[in-house]
Amino acid sequence: MTGSLRLSTACIAGALAGRLSIGLGRGRGETLSGRVILALDPKAISKLGAGRDIILVSGTNGKTTSTKNLTSILRDFAGEGVSTSESGANMPAGIAALLAQKPRNRFAVIECDEMYLPKIYRLLSPKVVVLLNLSRDQLHRTGEVRKVSRLWHETFTKDDVTIVIDRDDPFLEYSVANAGHVIRTTFGGRRHPDAATCPSCAAILDWSTGDYLCPCGLGSKLPDVRADKRLNGPQRNTVLVIEAARLMGAEILADEAEDLINRSPDRIYDFSSAGQTISTHLAKNPESWRQALGEVTSDQVILSVNARGIDGRDTSWLWDIDYSKLLGKKVVCTGERRLDIAYRLSVQGIDVSVASSFAEAAETLANEPIQAIVSYTAFQDLLAADLGINKGNSK
Amino acid sequence: MSLTIVRLYHDLLGTYGDQGNAEILIHRAKARNLDVELVEVTPGMAVPRSGDIYLLGGGEDGPQSAALEMLISDGGLNYAAAGGATVLAICAGFQIIGASLPDSHGQITSGLGLVDAHTIYDSSPRSVGELVIQPSRGELPVLTGFENHQGLTRLGQDMPPLGIVRSGVGNGFDRQEGIWHGNVFGSYMHGPVLARNPELADAVLRSAVGPMPEFKDPFAEVFAIERRNTLT
Repeated sequence: MTGSLRLSTACIAGALAGRLSIGLGRGRGETLSGRVILALDPKAISKLGAGRDIILVSGTNGKTTSTKNLTSILRDFAGEGVSTSESGANMPAGIAALLAQKPRNRFAVIECDEMYLPKIYRLLSPKVVVLLNLSRDQLHRTGEVRKVSRLWHETFTKDDVTIVIDRDDPFLEYSVANAGHVIRTTFGGRRHPDAATCPSCAAILDWSTGDYLCPCGLGSKLPDVRADKRLNGPQRNTVLVIEAARLMGAEILADEAEDLINRSPDRIYDFSSAGQTISTHLAKNPESWRQALGEVTSDQVILSVNARGIDGRDTSWLWDIDYSKLLGKKVVCTGERRLDIAYRLSVQGIDVSVASSFAEAAETLANEPIQAIVSYTAFQDLLAADLGINKGNSK
Repeated sequence: MSLTIVRLYHDLLGTYGDQGNAEILIHRAKARNLDVELVEVTPGMAVPRSGDIYLLGGGEDGPQSAALEMLISDGGLNYAAAGGATVLAICAGFQIIGASLPDSHGQITSGLGLVDAHTIYDSSPRSVGELVIQPSRGELPVLTGFENHQGLTRLGQDMPPLGIVRSGVGNGFDRQEGIWHGNVFGSYMHGPVLARNPELADAVLRSAVGPMPEFKDPFAEVFAIERRNTLT
């Protein structure tokens, strides 16, 4: 079989498998479709990416929302077709599937899991890579932050790609130390909670100025872009996404950029339960929990914690967060690991009770505003229930 | 009665949430009407020599080496331990208090030598998952925690482990886990370990202050039992 015949056969079979998977009610079919494509043509990703303008998006927090955001900005401002994953697929199978759909689109904006980024980067030769942030997440799987940073450091060695980073993050600065073209955006400098020591040589970093400096030479570099210090996590990600869109030819004026930053997509969704609308934050690691807690304004809060694979199987990190924002509020904990979080809160003197499900938690609360913070798989379960999909009972 | 708890370099040895151990000790000590002071030691600060309980947590290889270097040149922790102070050291901290361990380049280097324990860098897959042990001393129930480490630690012949592994890896030799020698406790268990095992928290406190009245903390006990029942 010739290379192109093999690829087109693989793509047709992949599309059929994807439709079959949707027909059976098993999600959007991207992963199965991609697996079939890669089984029939292992080189499909690089073939499907050839000749297209590829942008990769990675980082610990905000990958999915930033990928969607960049896609919509490119559609609006560059006026060209953009391929992306509708479901947030970020591993090789999902990436193969999204590239196979509408292969004539000039742009492809691809979210990439941190550990798969080196492989996808080598297969696709992107024009731009956006690295949003790096902090502790899923320690049982991805390992420690500096290991991810070292992996990226060994990856970005070419100069035919531009990498957009938050230059205040030392793990990202180390990741791009060998890269040719870097756009560095500063948000005024802020101490990184996981970077007491240098990502390169492990010496104690000097953070006394808000910027950081190591005797080995790693330190805050002169920025190319200066942004407002007061921006929150989702807004910082939008600033990086705008820079990436500009590199791809999108003409975004200053006031348009400001508007995009103000309307930054976040990970807050409204769910209905027990006759109430509950504003729910998806948060999955210490940094995203800190950000979500910062947004809590109501007096009633539901916290839902699971410890399945993607949540991180070790819940110890719950102790790294300061929950004093919840003092004086009524807090109900649910999820498979509700006792882990409930005990942690009780030690901090917070009024806390437990409920066996999200719905039961909502029922125990008064008919006043409720906010929720839920871990990744707990969020997926809520989303599935909202769509009427029964994903089985959680304990 | 007063109690001084010293948390050592939690910026460097705080990757795995072990700093919670200090909060649990404070919570349980206050419930016994002890007057508790927490001293946070950060890089550049001298380690107090008159603390009652010293805490070390888990961290990454580079920061672990940095912490060890500072503790050797300061000498305060060795001084306090020689005087009978209590030490609770988890994961990278457990490796640091032993006689030898690999540095961040994999070369074996000297540890603090508070206990006779030797860590090697194991080449097999990282030990990651739930860990359940049967403690060596009768007064403690089954203990649970979450381990996540590359190094394996062999105890000297006269060194009693904290317990024997029922499931998981632990120290990686003779099914032993951790150490409990005199007033020095070491373990590979995160959770934090004192959150998941309130009886161990009290054993650590008693080693510093002697006998204490009973304290029933409903959340702590329900949580500990739920973990034990799920994992055994």
